[in-house]
Order: sequence, then C-alpha cells, then structure tokens
Amino acid sequence: MSPSDLPAELEQLHAAAFGWALSCCAWDRSAAEDVLQASYLKLLDGRARFDGRSSLRTFVFGVIARTAREVRRRAALRRWLPLASLLLGPEAVDGRPDPATALVGADETARLMRALGRLSARQRQVLHLVFYEDLTIAEAAAVAGVSLGTARTHYERGKAALKRLLEEEPE
Amino acid sequence: MIERDDQHLKRAFAALRRKDAAASQSFQATVAAARARRAGVPRRRALALAAVVVVAVIAVVVASTWRVQKNDRLVIDLATVRWQAPTDFLLKLPGVELLRSVPQLGPRGLDRRIL
Repeated sequence: MSPSDLPAELEQLHAAAFGWALSCCAWDRSAAEDVLQASYLKLLDGRARFDGRSSLRTFVFGVIARTAREVRRRAALRRWLPLASLLLGPEAVDGRPDPATALVGADETARLMRALGRLSARQRQVLHLVFYEDLTIAEAAAVAGVSLGTARTHYERGKAALKRLLEEEPE
Repeated sequence: MIERDDQHLKRAFAALRRKDAAASQSFQATVAAARARRAGVPRRRALALAAVVVVAVIAVVVASTWRVQKNDRLVIDLATVRWQAPTDFLLKLPGVELLRSVPQLGPRGLDRRIL
C-alpha cells in the first residue's frame, strides 16, 4: 500500500475506528474525537508507519489504543502539574461519559454500555474488538498488546460477566 | 468464533455500532480538525518555553539575591573585635606591670644602698 492510498483506506475504516476510540475512552465522545484526530495525524504524518506485518485495520486500532493511553497519561499529568497544560494542550480525558452520552436513556444500547462499563478495561476491549469490530481473538490480542491466551481468557470471562450483568440490568 | 448463544450479544453490539456511526463526524472533518489543532501547537509550545524562561530568570535572581544576603550576614571581621570577659581582672597578677616593663639600668637607676 502506497502512502497516497492511506487517506482512502483510513476513510474506509473511519466508522469502525471511531467506535474503537469511543471504547478506549469509555464512551467519552469528545475524548474519542481527540484521540482519533491525534491518531490520524500520526498515521498521515508517517510517525506511525504501517509495515504490513498485520492487517491495516489491526494496525490502525493499535495506534488508536496507544494514543488513548498517551492521552490518559497526559490528562493525569495535567491534573498534577498545572503548568503542563500549556505544553500539552487543553484537551482532557477523564474517563467519564460526556453529557450527551449520559443523557442516553434506557434503550438497549445504554444497557449494554452500562454493563460494559462495569467490566475490566481489558475485558471490555477484547469484547468490543470481537463483537463490535468483528475481529478474531488473535487480532484482538494484537491490537490490545496481549498474548493470545490472555486475550482468550479476557474474552471468556468478559463474555460471561457481560451476560450476567445484562440479565441483572433492569429493562 | 461467535457461538450461537452469543447472537444476542452480537445484535446488541451491532445496534451500538449503528448508533455510534450515526453520531460520528466525517473522516474529512476529523482530519481537518486534527490539522487545525496541530497548527496551534507551535504557539502553545512558544508560550510554554517563554513561561519556563521567565521562571528560570526569576529563580536565578532570587538565588543570587539570597546568596548576597547570606554572605552579608556572615561577614564578621574578628580582627577588629576584642572581647573581654567580665572575670578577666581575676587573671591580672599584682605587679604585672613590672614584669612587662624593662628595668632601667645605669647610675640613676641603681640604688647603691640596696646593693
């Protein structure tokens, strides 16, 4: 794939990438947009270079996951060092859903989001990658940066916990 | 990969995906916002650099002033100071002046009657 093809390929992946960024930011929409913007800049500027060892989708999702972690670390640093906001910028990710998300009512997706919010971050990520993004567990392991066995454990335990939580959640 | 009894999870995630997709910005808008945000970064870095320089200058000035004040406090010329204890007179022996002065020898100084 030549660099000139990258924008078109990213555009194809955009909806899935936004969903993955939302999951990485606990459905904080503004934080997800920040993470996605920073990830696209890395990819388009060549700071994150695709070398063909995995699928482009897996690679892009990995970049988004790393960027979300960086943004979370910067937000934590900003909380402790007020001067750092000058250097790091005004954006902040606090892990809470934005007001629009919080207003989402009692529909089925809101139930799912609440249940996902009660899982561990790794379980939520693996389930999201498998069910939402249609990746295999091996691809999900590559994106999350864990071994296949670990990803499989997170998948099985997370799925069981999610089913239990959805049964407990009021309709 | 996804078992038959997981189909309801699959459907729930598909509904969530449709909802997220409807709420997402277009790719072009996202890239344009990213480029606009990057354009603001050099100005922010310049501001941060200026703030760091100001803080460093203030720190140097404060440190040098403090050092001068500290040196002023320590300058004591001990050679110009002679301290006497209140009990120094006890160390003075009777006739100590005679011991510190040189006796005059000669015809006027000698008393032949004593000799």
